[in-house]
Amino acid sequence: MFFRRAGISHTRYRDERQIWPLPIDRYTVFLIAALLLAAPFLIDRLYVVSYLLPLIIWSTAALGLNLLMGGAGQIHLGYGAVIGIGAYSSVHMLRAGVPFELAMIGGGLAAAAIGSIFGAVAMRVKGLYLAMATLAMQYIVDFVIIQFPAISGGTQASLPVPPTSFLGFPVEGDRVPYYVALVICGIVTLFMLNVRRTAFGRALAAVREKDYAAAIIGVDPFRFKLLAFWVSSFIGGLTGAVLSVCYYRTIAPEQFHLDLSIQLVAMVIVGGLGSVLGVFFGVALILFAPILLNQAVALLADQFGMNLPMDLRAHLPLMLYGGLIMGFLLIEPLGLAKIRNNIRNYFLVWPFRHSRQ
Amino acid sequence: MALTRRTMLTGAAVAALASHLPVRVAFGQDRTVRFAFMQDFTRIYTFVTSEYSQGQRDYITLVNGRGGVGGYTIVADISDHANDQPRAIEAYERAKAQGAVLIDPLSTPVARALVPRALEDQINMITAFSGRSDAADGTAFPYVLPLTPNYWTQAGLLIDYFKQQDGGSLQDKTICFVHIDTPFGKEPLPILEKLAAKEGFKFLAFPYTPPGNDQSAIWPQVRRARPDWTVFWGAAVGQTVALTEAVRNGLDMSRVSSSVWLSESDMEVVGKDQTVGVMKVEPCVSGHEPKIIQDILTEVVAAGKGAGPQDKVGTSYYNYGVMLAALMVEGVRRAAEIAPDGPVTGPWLNAGLRSITAFDAEGMIPPTTITPEDHQGGGYGRIARWDGEKFVPQTDWFSANQDIVWQEIRKYSEEFKKNGK
Repeated sequence: MFFRRAGISHTRYRDERQIWPLPIDRYTVFLIAALLLAAPFLIDRLYVVSYLLPLIIWSTAALGLNLLMGGAGQIHLGYGAVIGIGAYSSVHMLRAGVPFELAMIGGGLAAAAIGSIFGAVAMRVKGLYLAMATLAMQYIVDFVIIQFPAISGGTQASLPVPPTSFLGFPVEGDRVPYYVALVICGIVTLFMLNVRRTAFGRALAAVREKDYAAAIIGVDPFRFKLLAFWVSSFIGGLTGAVLSVCYYRTIAPEQFHLDLSIQLVAMVIVGGLGSVLGVFFGVALILFAPILLNQAVALLADQFGMNLPMDLRAHLPLMLYGGLIMGFLLIEPLGLAKIRNNIRNYFLVWPFRHSRQ
Repeated sequence: MALTRRTMLTGAAVAALASHLPVRVAFGQDRTVRFAFMQDFTRIYTFVTSEYSQGQRDYITLVNGRGGVGGYTIVADISDHANDQPRAIEAYERAKAQGAVLIDPLSTPVARALVPRALEDQINMITAFSGRSDAADGTAFPYVLPLTPNYWTQAGLLIDYFKQQDGGSLQDKTICFVHIDTPFGKEPLPILEKLAAKEGFKFLAFPYTPPGNDQSAIWPQVRRARPDWTVFWGAAVGQTVALTEAVRNGLDMSRVSSSVWLSESDMEVVGKDQTVGVMKVEPCVSGHEPKIIQDILTEVVAAGKGAGPQDKVGTSYYNYGVMLAALMVEGVRRAAEIAPDGPVTGPWLNAGLRSITAFDAEGMIPPTTITPEDHQGGGYGRIARWDGEKFVPQTDWFSANQDIVWQEIRKYSEEFKKNGK
């Protein structure tokens, strides 16, 4: 009914290889893009500044991490530090008077450079050892930021972002930051959708599946792993700049600790490794489930007049949240993207049941 | 997972139900002042938040039970931000949308991150014992109000007390400072270094790695330095570990001190009898003696309206909560005096908070005066010692070394004025 596939027959390879070969998918994407563009005019500002904006920024970051984890199969537990490098480099550049557009790229380059130096060292090991090596990167970067007042911004360790503008629009208020983040997220999303269809993306997939096999067919695993580190760190650094200018407005070391890295890894895994759409689902779940569960518990407690002790009231959402993540991973280990795919397949042939295995 | 019609329908039903959960709860009432207490109940500051929040809520229940203040009742909106910045920003924006005129995040990272928003939106942010120390300068941070002695002042008070104890001079004494290696732990360093130069004592800093659950390598070094006085500076688990190690290394407990972050529960963890003599900075009276606590016990707790377990009433952190709530309510009272009919906005409450004069909460806190310049309230506190059962005050309320503290405050607030806007 919704996704009629009947009657769509591609006669050229190009048509078959489009990102969205079915017209219904294209319409959905256009509709969502239009809604996102119109969001600041349609919905309450609370939802724009504290739900949509972080969703977009975290998704950009998670997309970058997904290139490394889902694309090249390399785990990274220090992605928060990569974002931190981008944030600190770009804010220092902004404070030195560099325009935001350049500072953003500068932040990306700084993160990419430092990220790939660590990457090159970490590439000597694989799997769990790589996880430990990237974890070390997280701690080293945290340590450096805290120990050098010139980086962290003095004893108060918080660095205000100076007023700036993006392509002529001053980045202030609620709308401009949202649109800046949206533009960057759009570019990164398009990149991620397309990268899988390039030689680079296929080389990464070869390395992900088995690096010996990749070497045998002529793909240099070291080179492509390093490139994956470079590209993903660049996206992380870019996001760091957007995160600090559009969302935090004051940056502090705590914002880029291990918590952020773990959060991003969780987003990628819950969303679905390698899936672009899944990243958005994963981010929404990990970022907002605790907030919404908290409000739901508070609301239910008030509605039913339950006098829950504050400790229980604060911890109950955490337990539900943990249960939720375990539940999702048990029901569908391939992530939220796979759940969405199942639903889509179901409706593609509805009311028939051919999609049932 | 194979998708069947049944799972499909159940999923759709659950989603439909979930979408009806309101993201925010509407609230509207005349002559109310809305406070948003978004604090960390579940992550890092759990050791203090539940007692602190209990004190705040009990005091507000007390005030509302007596008919409010200046014709206004206080609505306290409690939520958990888990020290997570996106959650804190969401809580802040929600509070703003609901019309809160005051927020109390009780978390240094969150307070620091919310500074630009609070200044822009003109919402009063209380940063008691947290946040930026330079927010004491009201000219640079009009809407950020610590209302309590900041960490620089606390360090200044301790050094002054040591000086009094050692007969007026610290010349050639050794003072060790054991601190958590985070921006918070390193904050007092510049003040202590300046005081060391001024008073002529030897100053040694010993950082330990966060979160500080193993400090066994540090304390033998402290012992070897043969300190005349030792100050340990941390929060949460680091505090009890530090104290345990100090006891184990045989330091003289009567010459060991910490900041305001030491409580009866910490003493129970380390050992009530082993820690007799250890000192802390007290910003307000602890225990049941203050009249306000007595009133809470009779009017709130006895009436079954207490916000938590009764045995927590009167603990240090509970009283900190009462102290801060009392200051906030005093701000509302002053604001209602200045403009009785409101409208209740951030600037309205700000005018009240910044005109609190010699307020002592019926003897519970040092006389506090907040001015548009000084958001710290004069920097008064007192030193108290643990006697095995409770903290016993050793001094009267006093203030010390404020000249050096204010030099440091201005140094950073000037920089903020220059770069922040």
